[in-house]
Amino acid sequence: MVRRAEPLTPSYVPRFKSRLHDERVAAWLGIWLGVAFTSAFVTGLISHFMQQPPGWLMWPSRPVNLYRVTQGLHVIGGLATIPLLLAKMWTVYPRLFQWPPVRSVGHAVERALIFVLVGAALFQVVTGLLNISYWYAFPFFFTSAHYWTAYILVGALVIHVVNKWPKVHRTVMKHPEDGLNRRGFLLGVAAASGTVAVTMVGEAFSPLAKVALLAPRRPGVGPQGVPVNRSAYAAGVSLAAANDPAWRLQVTGRVQRELSFSLEELQALPSHSARLPIACVEGWSAGATWQGIRLRDLLHMAGVAEDARVRLISMEVRGIFRTSWVSSRHWHDPLTLLALSVNGETLDLDHGFPCRLIAPNRPGVHQTKWVRQVIVV
Amino acid sequence: MKTRITAYAIGAGFILLGLWGVLTGTTNPRGWAFWFAGAVIVHDGIFVPFVLLLGALTTRVPASHRRFVQATLLVGGAVTLVALPMVLGFGQRADNPSILPLAYGRNLIIVLSVIAVVAVVWTALARHRKRSDDPR
Repeated sequence: MVRRAEPLTPSYVPRFKSRLHDERVAAWLGIWLGVAFTSAFVTGLISHFMQQPPGWLMWPSRPVNLYRVTQGLHVIGGLATIPLLLAKMWTVYPRLFQWPPVRSVGHAVERALIFVLVGAALFQVVTGLLNISYWYAFPFFFTSAHYWTAYILVGALVIHVVNKWPKVHRTVMKHPEDGLNRRGFLLGVAAASGTVAVTMVGEAFSPLAKVALLAPRRPGVGPQGVPVNRSAYAAGVSLAAANDPAWRLQVTGRVQRELSFSLEELQALPSHSARLPIACVEGWSAGATWQGIRLRDLLHMAGVAEDARVRLISMEVRGIFRTSWVSSRHWHDPLTLLALSVNGETLDLDHGFPCRLIAPNRPGVHQTKWVRQVIVV
Repeated sequence: MKTRITAYAIGAGFILLGLWGVLTGTTNPRGWAFWFAGAVIVHDGIFVPFVLLLGALTTRVPASHRRFVQATLLVGGAVTLVALPMVLGFGQRADNPSILPLAYGRNLIIVLSVIAVVAVVWTALARHRKRSDDPR
């Protein structure tokens, strides 16, 4: 096979002299990025379908920390991808000025797809980074935009991999390693990704919490030592409403007998404790010891079908997470509690006083706070 | 050739699915397009030229110190970029002090200092090793 000479850059573009703008470096960075984006896509889909499960999908309640791990990988891995992506695009930047800009129809399509790939990749890391730092600078709802753009990114990536595979194969797998310069550069990029990961990972992996100097969250910082995603103020739940003596937890719907408990009556029921994490979709997670009534016990008391689905309603007045679904697998799990206390203290209002759901392997936004009603469907 | 065409079809399918989702399932497709294209324009038109300029400047640093400067800029620059939204702190909320609870400006300076120290030690060790390898 005759190898075509690299297209020349026009004379008005300054010469790129560094040896690092070459195929070998681009190939290695490309391989790393391929792995990183695939991991982000898979963990992202897990999170998406955990939050919006289609009817046929019965999500397991175990292992307890599964979501914590997948979502931590998604967010912290995604942050560590930023240096890789920037380095890769720096390496191939001279090709932006290739001359002639378009050689054939096929080449035009390929370049258009590169635009799609670069745009989607930048869009995902920029919106992701802004979202975990709670800086909503973009004019759209994050979740759906990030979700659908992921498909565009993966599609463009598949085509890119097919197009570049022969080149990667030739430069990475057939040539012997040479030149310390390249190795030094790749090591530097890896060090940049590693530093980002190390200064962030403690927001999910608490033994490293002290090193998480740049993470938007820190386990242990928050009321009763647990961070809060949505405060009572933001959810529109006042202390007066939560403290109202007329407050009752109601169990209704398709039950043999409807139940209604005051807070004192709930406290008198058999209580269990569970060590469970709040694992947030933004990547942070923090473990805590929760105490309360097993949802299973409550539903058996009311008399429900074993495969019933349950809907929890919060006292929140606004927001899409006012209610959540609990599948039969989750409510059968003995670790699934309607918690009344955390780390030995009555729940703080921001943690859902008087009563909140806490269940294993479940996104934080679905651990409904300020529960007032359990509806069996 | 057959696998190639299959892969192209899969890739195109994903792209079309994503575009359809953006058009029908997001709250502001026009804003989305603005950010999608805007990210490329800002990156290719402003960010990379700035990095290239910085890189060109490092070639004026004496050869003995160049590696150290380049490594520090590479790692430190990437970390600074990722930490920037935390340092700027636009996400802070009065009702929820557990969001962005740390002194990120100070912490970034600490992290950058550690990076610089590591780079100094690394370069010194490399130079020492090279010198001791030299036959005299």
